[in-house]
Amino acid sequence: MVEAGNVQAIEFTVNGERREATVASRQLLVHFLRDSLGMKGTHIGCDTGSCGACSVIVDGRLVKSCMMLAPQADGCEIETIEGIAKDGELTAVQRAFHEEHGLQCGYCTPGLVMAATFLLRRNPQPSEDEIRRAVRGNICRCTGYVNIIRSIERAARNGAEEAA
Amino acid sequence: MSTTPADTAVEIGRSIGVSVPRREDRRLLQGQGEFADDVWMHRQGYAHFVRSPHAHARIVSVDTRRALALDGVYAALTGEEVKELCESPFFQIAPEPAAKIAEYPLAVDKVRYHGDAVAVVLAETRELARDAAGLVDVEYELLPVVVDGVAAAEADAPLLHEQVGTNVAWHGVFDWGDVDWALENADHVVEIDHLHFHRFSSTPLECNAAVVHWDPGTDTVQVKSNNQMPMFASMVIGPTLGVASNRLLFASQDIGGAFGNKIGSYPQIAALALLSRKAGRPAKWTEYRTEHMLSCGHGNERTFLDTRVAVMKDGTILGFKTRAFDDAGAYLHYEPLGAVIWSQVSCGCYRLKHLHVDYTETLTNKCPTIPNRGYSRLQHLWLIERIIDIVAHELGFDPVELRKRNYVQPDDYPYETPNGCVYDSGDLPRSLDIALELIDHDKWRARQRELGRGSGKRIGIGIGSTLDSGTNNFGQARIINPELPFSGNGEAAYVKLDLYGEVNVNLGTTPQGQSHETTAAQVVGDVLGMGPEQVHVTAGFNQQQNTYVAFSGTYASQFAVTGLGAAKGAAEKLRAEIIEVAAFALEADAEDIELADGMCSVRGDQERAIPFIGVANLIYANNAALPTELRERISLNCRHVYVPPFEVPDPDKKRGNLTLTYASQIHACVVEIDEDTGHVEILEYAAVDDCGKRINPRIVEGQVHGATALGIGAALYESFEYDGDGQLQQASFYDYHAITALDAPDIKTADIESPSPFTPNGAKGMGEGGGAPLHAICSAIQDALGDQDAIVSDSHNPWERVWWLVHSGERGEPRGVRVSAQAAASAEGES
Amino acid sequence: MLLESVAYARPDTVAEALQLLAENEDAAPLAGGQSLINVLKHRVASLELLVDISRLEELRGIAAAPDGGLEIGACVTYDELDHSPEVRSAQPMLADVAGHIEDQQIRDAGTIGGNCCLSDPTNNLPPLLVALGATMVIASSGGPREVAASDFFHGYFATAVGEGELLTSVRVPPLAAGASAGYSTVAVGADSKAIARAAALVRANGTIEEARVVLACVSPIPARHAGMEEALRGRAAEPAAVAAAAERIGADLEPLGDAHGSAEYRRAMARVVARRAVCQAIGNGGPQHG
Repeated sequence: MVEAGNVQAIEFTVNGERREATVASRQLLVHFLRDSLGMKGTHIGCDTGSCGACSVIVDGRLVKSCMMLAPQADGCEIETIEGIAKDGELTAVQRAFHEEHGLQCGYCTPGLVMAATFLLRRNPQPSEDEIRRAVRGNICRCTGYVNIIRSIERAARNGAEEAA
Repeated sequence: MSTTPADTAVEIGRSIGVSVPRREDRRLLQGQGEFADDVWMHRQGYAHFVRSPHAHARIVSVDTRRALALDGVYAALTGEEVKELCESPFFQIAPEPAAKIAEYPLAVDKVRYHGDAVAVVLAETRELARDAAGLVDVEYELLPVVVDGVAAAEADAPLLHEQVGTNVAWHGVFDWGDVDWALENADHVVEIDHLHFHRFSSTPLECNAAVVHWDPGTDTVQVKSNNQMPMFASMVIGPTLGVASNRLLFASQDIGGAFGNKIGSYPQIAALALLSRKAGRPAKWTEYRTEHMLSCGHGNERTFLDTRVAVMKDGTILGFKTRAFDDAGAYLHYEPLGAVIWSQVSCGCYRLKHLHVDYTETLTNKCPTIPNRGYSRLQHLWLIERIIDIVAHELGFDPVELRKRNYVQPDDYPYETPNGCVYDSGDLPRSLDIALELIDHDKWRARQRELGRGSGKRIGIGIGSTLDSGTNNFGQARIINPELPFSGNGEAAYVKLDLYGEVNVNLGTTPQGQSHETTAAQVVGDVLGMGPEQVHVTAGFNQQQNTYVAFSGTYASQFAVTGLGAAKGAAEKLRAEIIEVAAFALEADAEDIELADGMCSVRGDQERAIPFIGVANLIYANNAALPTELRERISLNCRHVYVPPFEVPDPDKKRGNLTLTYASQIHACVVEIDEDTGHVEILEYAAVDDCGKRINPRIVEGQVHGATALGIGAALYESFEYDGDGQLQQASFYDYHAITALDAPDIKTADIESPSPFTPNGAKGMGEGGGAPLHAICSAIQDALGDQDAIVSDSHNPWERVWWLVHSGERGEPRGVRVSAQAAASAEGES
Repeated sequence: MLLESVAYARPDTVAEALQLLAENEDAAPLAGGQSLINVLKHRVASLELLVDISRLEELRGIAAAPDGGLEIGACVTYDELDHSPEVRSAQPMLADVAGHIEDQQIRDAGTIGGNCCLSDPTNNLPPLLVALGATMVIASSGGPREVAASDFFHGYFATAVGEGELLTSVRVPPLAAGASAGYSTVAVGADSKAIARAAALVRANGTIEEARVVLACVSPIPARHAGMEEALRGRAAEPAAVAAAAERIGADLEPLGDAHGSAEYRRAMARVVARRAVCQAIGNGGPQHG
């Protein structure tokens, strides 16, 4: 049992790297990532868990890191936008967003890349409706979602080609 | 690796018009952008504003002692203290008496809206700053509230600013042509009682943020923020803080959307500067979403009363008369410029000759308004599109034919409007035809007729015709206040050849997704005979390294003209310098030098060539080899300011050329309404854009998509509403339903290119979009309504309002519209 | 927004969780956190201790009985309900409704227990669980007790779970022969905040033998509408009869109006969603999500 405390020692893996930290129990995971770990690619767009800009993958689940406390990450594997491209090589999802002009200001983009990555791992050939449902929790104010949907469709094709 | 459509080879020097891939994407896709909250400074503290829970109250006391007693709290500031520290209140654009408004970075004596800032604290962590803010004790004495923009103008309304003596911030009558003649001589007069354009905003996904450091060593104020119009902010807060503009240093890199809203962060930046000086530390502030919704600024809310439209039997609309009440909220932030900016598009897309608008801007106990995508024009364009559809509906005209009859025609350009604006080019009828084809208009019109009553469904077809006016003449401010020292417009750019022959561009702009790095590289590359990938454009804006003019920033659909005009001009100057140095080095005539791929060569003799690095070397590091005249004159560092050809408008007649370019957007849609619930489903949506020569068509299309979704969101989902006590009802994304991927339709796009005869590249500013979806959705709902139903009179139509509309006829609700034949009208007048 | 200072504990067993909850007056269980963390961020409520129950294996399982009955652990997420073959097979409507709660991120964290224990009248699952005749299993220091879903919800943000207690599972009985569920929502936007909801369970064989109609968002708790249920019984299982029965919904409802819908609209929409949910249950309408 993790005993009650306002401060907790945690161990976790972030983008494959094992880390330890002491966190305030009340600290949100997103602030831990940004303020404590300096991983500023994960963004904050709201304070109600509505916008998805802070989406990361924790133990294989897509979560909003503003809706999770830092101590809840103890023992977890966290994937953030910084760990998506390997050695500077963009993934099929990232390439597709570039190719289909799926981003403008780029603020919602890390969260959307995480949501799209999560979707395609589970469902490599999604329908348009499945794509829309998969990014329902990620607000974008620039693109009208049109090119985001096209990007994810293209990513699915890119991925299929790479797998072939 | 798959190939990109955009990867198609670009011919050197001919990238304009090609959808080259974006330069910004790589960093943004990997979380490597630098947004305002990503900026950290050594010893920084975190600021948290204490905001009023009341809409209107006297501040009896503000006590920060409990907050300051908390370990780790550095400093606190109250309105009273801020007033002492400021040289003056913020400069007001408004003439007397509203010029007497005394706004400071924090509220002094009174709070005037739910969310007004009364104090700010600085602490070691974000969490602690919030804790401390909660310990600031404020005692309020409640005052009566006014939240209605029309009622606020009444003599007995509660006063927001006592020293002004009225809640009317500005009043003026715009009278062009002879509307009384038109109403007397019209075959029909259509009278519309009440039209209301609602409050909403584009709510950029990144909230406002700033790190402000009042550096005692250099006595400079460094402002790392996401403010989108830093020179405006500087001009407003410099005198208030008593800081010269060359020591008030703005910088930003990536900005997470702005849409006009981020013009409004200057009061907070000023408060942070004072807080930083007091604490002796940088003050970092990141606005919370709730705070953003309460206080960042909302789009203008406007009510039109007693609109009377003069229509001839053949459908020709002569003009209209209306009374407009614009609700500016509690303070004037950028207002009352909105009171004139709408007149850039006074007659919309139509050949209306007689216009009379009695315009009042009022102060209410609501969040101040701030420019929002389509600023002030979309409200007026919505009015005109409502007029067109209501006239069609009441008099039995086909909405398509009525538009085509009244549109400015292709051979009318350049077309001068009744108030002296010049529409540069376009082809509205053709744009409409393309839009109608995209939505399969004829099929849906037939389907609509087949669908009988009793099916529970209704089909509506809607059109939104808009202009996206770009490149303002700031001289229009003098129509608001003749004393203002503003006119014209401009933007600056700086292009240099660097030490090793690299081409570098610095812009005066603060892009927020508009892809300036990409399009500037295209334009400069074309001038210098290089591919855009060979041109480096510095990301972001830094006042200490970039060049600028007072108009610099990114707002109001103008970069393609002003920003790229400046980049092109600077690149041309650099090209001339490079050629001159190359001609010397190659012992050739300047006219014979060609530039290609970073090489200067002599025409017809490719062996005689010098690379850009060689040219750079001669100027930067090897200048003794050059003739004195040449080395003293040429720097390979070229600045250019693009200045559009404007004159000062006539403030008395409220006339003049207010805008350089007029892009158009014609939208068309088909909706299906569920009579049971009022649910509106968009079955088809198309947008046809004409912004002249497109520098990068894909980027243009992206802007069209975005403006369309924001407009649809505003039309159906997004609204800021206040209750009778002045409490904002939608203060988070939980209650303010920002349109999602499940709500947004697929959007079909098409374009035509009517180059502007007035601009450097034939391009027109675009991006704001003129609110076309609001017009189109209202138009479609109107089209689905019956003769007995009330007219669509609000720009916001959530399911409940649509449900009310489709049942209004059977309930015998007032329709809100009347038609009178002129003979009858005059008989009434005599009786 | 940032939370007030609060302690965090993560017990390894339900017994430990109960002990922590019992020992600390201002303690609350933290499951998916998709509402609780918002409440704390906005400092609407304050707590001394959060007891993280989200990883308790005892609360994470879905057990299916041969007869189609389900026992669903309180910390099973919406996404797990949506993707569980057992739930899909035994209670497809439950899987479907769970799969339309807000968004993927919320579905990956939010739990069936949290959705019920919050007792927010706009929540998706409570009306359906009442319609399906579910039983809520509550653990307390004195041992487990069972409460019918119809008795579980006590008011705004209040349920049968007392201090020091914990909802551990939800038992959903198998669908009776000839029975089918329906569900309909009018919401602000797609898969978003609800204005009116209805869930129905209808047993029919050409004629409606029994119908449960549960309305939500129009009163503090999900409530069966006896008048409509009575009007349905013995009628032909077809839309006209259902519509006629739905007319029984009227002045007896006193919904609260807010920025998302007036009282009048909510009342009218209650009628619409009730009709649609019943029609869907009898096979005369597609899925109704809003």
